[in-house]
Amino acid sequence: MSDDVAAANSTQSDVDSETAIALRALDISRSFGNVSVLDGVSVSVEQGELVAIVGPNGSGKSTLMEVIAGVRSPDAGSVIIPADGRTNTNQRDVGYLPQRPAFREGFTVRETLQFYARFLDETGPTDVNETLQRVGLRHVSGRNVGSLSGGMTRLLGLGQAILGHPSVLVLDEPGSGLDPTMVERLFSILHSLADDGTGIVVASHHLAAIETYADTVAFLDRGGLLVSESPTQLLASTGQETLVDAFLASMKSDEHESTVRAGFREEETD
Amino acid sequence: MVDRDIVDDLFVVATRELRTVVKTPSLVALAGVFAVSIVGVAWAGTGGSGGFVPLTLDLLTFVEVLIPLLAFAFGYRSILNDRLTGELDMLRTFDVDRIAYVGGVYVGRAMALVGVVVASLFIAGVLVPVLTADQPTFLAQNRAADSILRFVRFVVFTGGFTLVALAVTLAVSAAARTLRTAFVFATVLTVAFVIGVDTALIAGLASGVVPQEGIALLFAASPNSAFRGLVLEIAVGVVSGTSVNAGSTPLNAFALLLWWLLGLGIAVWRVWSPVGWNDDGGT
Repeated sequence: MSDDVAAANSTQSDVDSETAIALRALDISRSFGNVSVLDGVSVSVEQGELVAIVGPNGSGKSTLMEVIAGVRSPDAGSVIIPADGRTNTNQRDVGYLPQRPAFREGFTVRETLQFYARFLDETGPTDVNETLQRVGLRHVSGRNVGSLSGGMTRLLGLGQAILGHPSVLVLDEPGSGLDPTMVERLFSILHSLADDGTGIVVASHHLAAIETYADTVAFLDRGGLLVSESPTQLLASTGQETLVDAFLASMKSDEHESTVRAGFREEETD
Repeated sequence: MVDRDIVDDLFVVATRELRTVVKTPSLVALAGVFAVSIVGVAWAGTGGSGGFVPLTLDLLTFVEVLIPLLAFAFGYRSILNDRLTGELDMLRTFDVDRIAYVGGVYVGRAMALVGVVVASLFIAGVLVPVLTADQPTFLAQNRAADSILRFVRFVVFTGGFTLVALAVTLAVSAAARTLRTAFVFATVLTVAFVIGVDTALIAGLASGVVPQEGIALLFAASPNSAFRGLVLEIAVGVVSGTSVNAGSTPLNAFALLLWWLLGLGIAVWRVWSPVGWNDDGGT
């Protein structure tokens, strides 16, 4: 991720000239009634970059993911996908995995992916097979989606998200409720996708995986972005040994420290 | 941005909807119950052995009540389920147009629903020549007053009424954000259509609030009474030697068209709000 504060001040022409940027969200604000959920958040993702958004429950991660994915309008701010951030002109803009995906029962894994693939111009059976292979669901492609475990359903959701080779992937807590092996597998898939040039934004509580795989970690708290650096830089700049401690050190106040710690601990021990 | 044809996308969605209905045991069972009920009424009632018009009169109230219920069952969760599971959001990232999505859901479900309704009525209609075969022939019969054409008109109007009921149900499914809200909305609308408007009409006439001139307008107020008016005027025409006065035919037809457009219009409007960004553009 580039410097978020500087990004907020970028002009449209600046954005257009940066070929490596896959997506840029500028000054995003969003309220629900009188409650401000996002307040001037800026995020940018380069091609091949894996950006992790970290924050306690209620910090605005899901709303930010929805805005970036283009399924929710912000009250203010803009999301820009530079045309030159894509590797081909028919490429899908954004692939999105919501927090708790579910699919229609009565259809197999393959049929479900084929359904989504039909909305793409240049996606055929090969792409569905390739996607099944990539997310590791080829061996269960004939199974009814209703019989899949939670982890497999997320992998199917990831498969849906990567169909059509989108330039940006937006994943909202893809590892939530999964066992450590499955989380590791999921993040290694994301890492390989990033290696292929896909820009990835992932909201997650899995700090161990984030420390290993993320290029950039952004801390979100109460609708505002606190800090955005690589995991190594973050630990060094805060002088902390873990990302949880680094996050707490970055917070403006520690009035809900115990809640934040509990939230992270809960996810890490899933 | 991927450039595609809305019609292609509509048929992709419609195919999935049709397959979903076929793969949902509860809907298949309901369709079976509906078919058995219709055929049962034709078989057991006086209509089947009396001719096509008596059969139409026997079935009219029955389909007027059952079709909104069947449409409710087929449609109230259709869009809402996709919203609750996140599939609606996933589909949006494939640049699926709102018209393609709602149109696809509608076409797919309508094919199944209208198919069930028309097939059931067809079987009931087939029973007429079978059941009337043993009737004594010394009684004079007016063939013009009781023809298969009149029953075909009834089937066509019933098909149209089914499409309207489904469109209204889809509007509820698109507008609601929880299953409970959708259930309450759909129940209230069904009750209002099935008995609410008629009750209001009778009460209004009895109390003098509704003038005689306002009856035609009130008939057209609900899809049920508009449908009933059309069937009585055009498919039945004459009962016991007296012309049926069931409101204004053009007004009833226009009302059904309006309900259909309103239902689908609300569904497209409420399914999601377009987010105007992409390809070098801001929100």
